[in-house]
Amino acid sequence: MVIQINHLTKFYQVHQKEPGFAGSMKSLFHRTYYDAKAVNDISFEIDEGELVGFIGPNGAGKTTTLKCLTGLLYPTSGQVSVLGYTPFQRKHEYLKQISLVMGQKNQLWWDLPAIDSFLLNKEIYEIPADQYNKTVAELSELLDVEDILQVQVRKLSLGQRMKCELIAALIHTPKILFLDEPTIGLDVVMQQKLRDFVKAYNENFNATVILTSHYMKDVEELCRRVIIIDHGKILYDGKLANIVKKYAKNKSITVIFEKPVTREKLKQLGEVASFDPLKAVVIVPRDKSNYVASKLLEQFPVEDLNIEEPNIEEIIRDVFANQASSV
Amino acid sequence: MKLYLQVAKNTWDEMMSYRFNFAMWRLRNVLQLLTVYYLWLAVTPQNGHIFGYSRSLILTYVLGASLIGSIVFSTRTQEMGDNINNGELSQFLIRPFGYLGYWFARDIGDKLFNVSFALAELTIIYFILRPSIFLQPNIFAVLLTIGAICIAVVMNFFLGSLLGMIAFWSPEVWAPRFIFFTLVSFFAGGLFPLDILPVPMQRVFAFLPFGYLQYFPLQIYLGKLSSNGLIQGFCIALVWCLLLYFLVTWVWRKGLRVYSSEGN
Repeated sequence: MVIQINHLTKFYQVHQKEPGFAGSMKSLFHRTYYDAKAVNDISFEIDEGELVGFIGPNGAGKTTTLKCLTGLLYPTSGQVSVLGYTPFQRKHEYLKQISLVMGQKNQLWWDLPAIDSFLLNKEIYEIPADQYNKTVAELSELLDVEDILQVQVRKLSLGQRMKCELIAALIHTPKILFLDEPTIGLDVVMQQKLRDFVKAYNENFNATVILTSHYMKDVEELCRRVIIIDHGKILYDGKLANIVKKYAKNKSITVIFEKPVTREKLKQLGEVASFDPLKAVVIVPRDKSNYVASKLLEQFPVEDLNIEEPNIEEIIRDVFANQASSV
Repeated sequence: MKLYLQVAKNTWDEMMSYRFNFAMWRLRNVLQLLTVYYLWLAVTPQNGHIFGYSRSLILTYVLGASLIGSIVFSTRTQEMGDNINNGELSQFLIRPFGYLGYWFARDIGDKLFNVSFALAELTIIYFILRPSIFLQPNIFAVLLTIGAICIAVVMNFFLGSLLGMIAFWSPEVWAPRFIFFTLVSFFAGGLFPLDILPVPMQRVFAFLPFGYLQYFPLQIYLGKLSSNGLIQGFCIALVWCLLLYFLVTWVWRKGLRVYSSEGN
């Protein structure tokens, strides 16, 4: 067990201001605060070598959880233990084994070439010269940035910079890698490269990787396990594949007909989601999908038929929508 | 140690990437120095005294104050406040090194760079203008002056850090810093020697930290202090250093508890 979280809670004091200038003046003298419950009593455990995805809408508490795990935030209550350390104490032995990459924050020195920032990290993490040279050579080849390491960071494109950020964060080959929206703002090709890289790093170093992302693709491709979080609570923790079983109650059957059919007749078999005389989509409960399919083949002039699971993004959107309506 | 050297080195590289800016900054310093010099040259009578200082002593005082001020007060600590406010601090906290040590190394790097240029400029100015300034012949006094400047540098770093750490509790860090350093430039003796003030005020000032930033090193250089005065001065300055150090580390620990890593 590398990560253990027990009843973690983090509230922020937020100051509220009424709109406009009058509101500003009022807030000079009297401020109203409320507790924003960013993370509200969550518990989970993560094993060595796992690649776990955190998903949830904006403001769900994903990043706050990561920040508690990396020792940036002092938890309001609850226990956090990572590699046997309490993150907030920020022991150097602990920090040497982890890394955090934030898609919207950079640690590279803006006015200097990336290599100068790497050199600083070499000293910070006390990496022997030969190991440092080897790691930088390896990583920059993997990410294909060898020729831009001597260029001022400010002159780099977002994708190039992100790759350099990743190298800076991995120079000490951390055992646990926290990635907060690592693909934000990158084009699809670059996103794919980054995903492949994270996967390879996880496998080659048996590193534990915890990732948050808005892009379902990131999570689908990388993570076997996902933790869905919203309003500071965990909604789901388990295998990605099981989400479909748990939350997707229906399947959709797409049929193409040889001859036009009537809507009325189709309705008897299930909910008709879309219809034109030669093509229709029927929504049916999961356990009845085979039965309905055979009925369709029996009763209609079917040319082609296709049974589909709804995609994960849709399911998760439904989960969040239901959550929102039940709160 | 190698780490802090690397920080200082990166700071130099960074400064060199804005060469024009840096050149203008140095030019500004030279112009300022010359303005102060000619102003006081004009107001002090040729062979008379002003505030109990002879012409060469007062000229030495104002030039020295401006030089020491530029060494002591140049700092990067205002960036601490920015770091805390915009969440950049997270990038430092996540790595195993001291944040305060990092900024101190940047301060020192910045100062060494500026001082080496300042010394070169002053040498040139000295040989061109041949001003009537007081050159301390006693090497021991010069060494003590340098020691007092070092203490002042550390003290100013702590004061600047404290002002930066206001950001943990309030996003408004600029105004307190501005007011504080406006007052300090007065209380530190940057505008005039503090011993022209009434004696009771001087007594109070002797126990405040500000005079030790500029006035105290200059008094040593000008040979105005008795050995008792020297010992008392160094003791008070060191006690302040220690107090400020404890205050800074205490505020830092308190601040981290409320730090909210904003902006992400």
